Amino acid sequence: MRMKTSRFGTFYLSLFFVILYLPVLSVILYSFNASPSTAQWTGFTLDWYRTLFEDRVIAASFRISMEVAVITSIVSAILGTASAVVAMRSTAGMKRAIQGVMILPLLIPEVALGIALLIFFNLLNLPFGHFTLVASHSLFCVPYVYIMVQLRLKEIDRSILESARDLGATRWQATRTIILPLVTPSIITASLLALAMSLDDVIISTYMSGPRTTTLPVHIFSMMRVGVTPKVNALCTLILVGMFFVVGLSQLFTKKRHKEDL
Amino acid sequence: MQTLKRNLLAVPILVWLGLLVGIPLVFVFVLSFLSRDSLGTIVFQFTLENWQRVLDPIYLRVFRNSLLLAFLTGLVTIVVGYPVAYITANLEPKKRALSIGLIMLPFWISSLLRTYGWMILLGNAGIVNNILLGLGIIDKPLPMMYKFGTTLVGTAYMLIPFAIVAIFNSVDKLDRSLLEASYDLGANRRQTFFNITLPLTLPGIAGGFTLVFIPALGLFYVSDLLGGGNTIFLGNLINTQVTRGRNRPLAAAFSIAMIIVVLLVISIYGKVAKDDAEGLFL
Repeated sequence: MRMKTSRFGTFYLSLFFVILYLPVLSVILYSFNASPSTAQWTGFTLDWYRTLFEDRVIAASFRISMEVAVITSIVSAILGTASAVVAMRSTAGMKRAIQGVMILPLLIPEVALGIALLIFFNLLNLPFGHFTLVASHSLFCVPYVYIMVQLRLKEIDRSILESARDLGATRWQATRTIILPLVTPSIITASLLALAMSLDDVIISTYMSGPRTTTLPVHIFSMMRVGVTPKVNALCTLILVGMFFVVGLSQLFTKKRHKEDL
Repeated sequence: MQTLKRNLLAVPILVWLGLLVGIPLVFVFVLSFLSRDSLGTIVFQFTLENWQRVLDPIYLRVFRNSLLLAFLTGLVTIVVGYPVAYITANLEPKKRALSIGLIMLPFWISSLLRTYGWMILLGNAGIVNNILLGLGIIDKPLPMMYKFGTTLVGTAYMLIPFAIVAIFNSVDKLDRSLLEASYDLGANRRQTFFNITLPLTLPGIAGGFTLVFIPALGLFYVSDLLGGGNTIFLGNLINTQVTRGRNRPLAAAFSIAMIIVVLLVISIYGKVAKDDAEGLFL
């Protein structure tokens, strides 16, 4: 029995989505405003985008963010997938242990985790930069890859694996020829999500950036603290467009396999 | 022997994560009992001073602010998000997929952008004030920025997708024959909702609350940008102590205190949802 959605229900849902997207749309709209203030609309302009491309500091931090995000997503894809496959194979107790350490970074507020890592890397005398950024970002990205891959693994029919083994396939062969192809769409989606999360991280990056490796979000945050300027709007809009391109890509991979899971 | 071999591959994973999470946390704990000199350099000398300061009335107020913010954020996201999840779960397949997509999409949108959007909407020269002024409803801008409420709106807005997803999952799992039975036995919609639906989706509510509460304790960039530092929260305090105050031992004590709060909330979640922390994600 599926209850019919009432008119009020439809109204509530629509209102919710309007409010959910209103702030986002406002940012985009005012990136094209000729006036530097949101007080008035004085005409359409692309000037703010031009000043953006002339800004060397933004370009540099964008590069660092991209480098960190790409490496993080690759590292997370490998470690997350490996963990999920290993967890599937391990004994129940070991599986619980793996899940326990996986969700640990997700349960600690980012500020606390960031400070813990800051103190840790400081004590080890590691220079802050790409390495510390990738290591810390992968800490909250690996668990998401693990969760998504492990959800897919649960759906795989065990009997296929058993028949492969019966037919003489080694453990590794069975993994490579059966499991990996089946989980690949999940791995791709998960690593794109890892890319997005790494590109978006403000809190941990605040502590993990070195003097010459400020990431883009950390830089944007310092710009926003000064106040509203259309340049920030333009920058945010560009990031949004880039990110939607990534979402589009990930949709392409997931659409084929599982349709309705959240 | 066979079990040992099966488990061997898991060891590097445990070691890697343990190294990066466990050891730093131990360090933070130890650091919270250490002193520092006037330059901010850590001195290896045992002290309870940092913990005494955590319990100082001034800092206790910061604690209260943060707990209140995190609690209210949890409450608001559940109250606003529950109907969204409930309605979505009952939509016809096509609309349902669209609704799910719209709920999930913010996960991909920069969180700074989403915070900044509220600065543009609520500022004195912001869109809301422009519209109200234009319509002649007010004659001078309403000050809406830099208040506790502004931070609450921003934090709830940032985290509501987590709450909706958690509730949606439990509403979607609901055995609909129970609802039918309830109607057949003469219960009306309200009675059915409060006696059947709500109790059965309680684990989802508890899960959503926990998933929102934890990050709400530390989202310092939201309270910085929207609250303007008028109300001090734990996240801001810790952040300032590390980046400007150069008092890492104090920041460490506050971080440990924050983690203790999180552990408490998770154990409450466990009691309510009859599940462990893993149930939040898996």
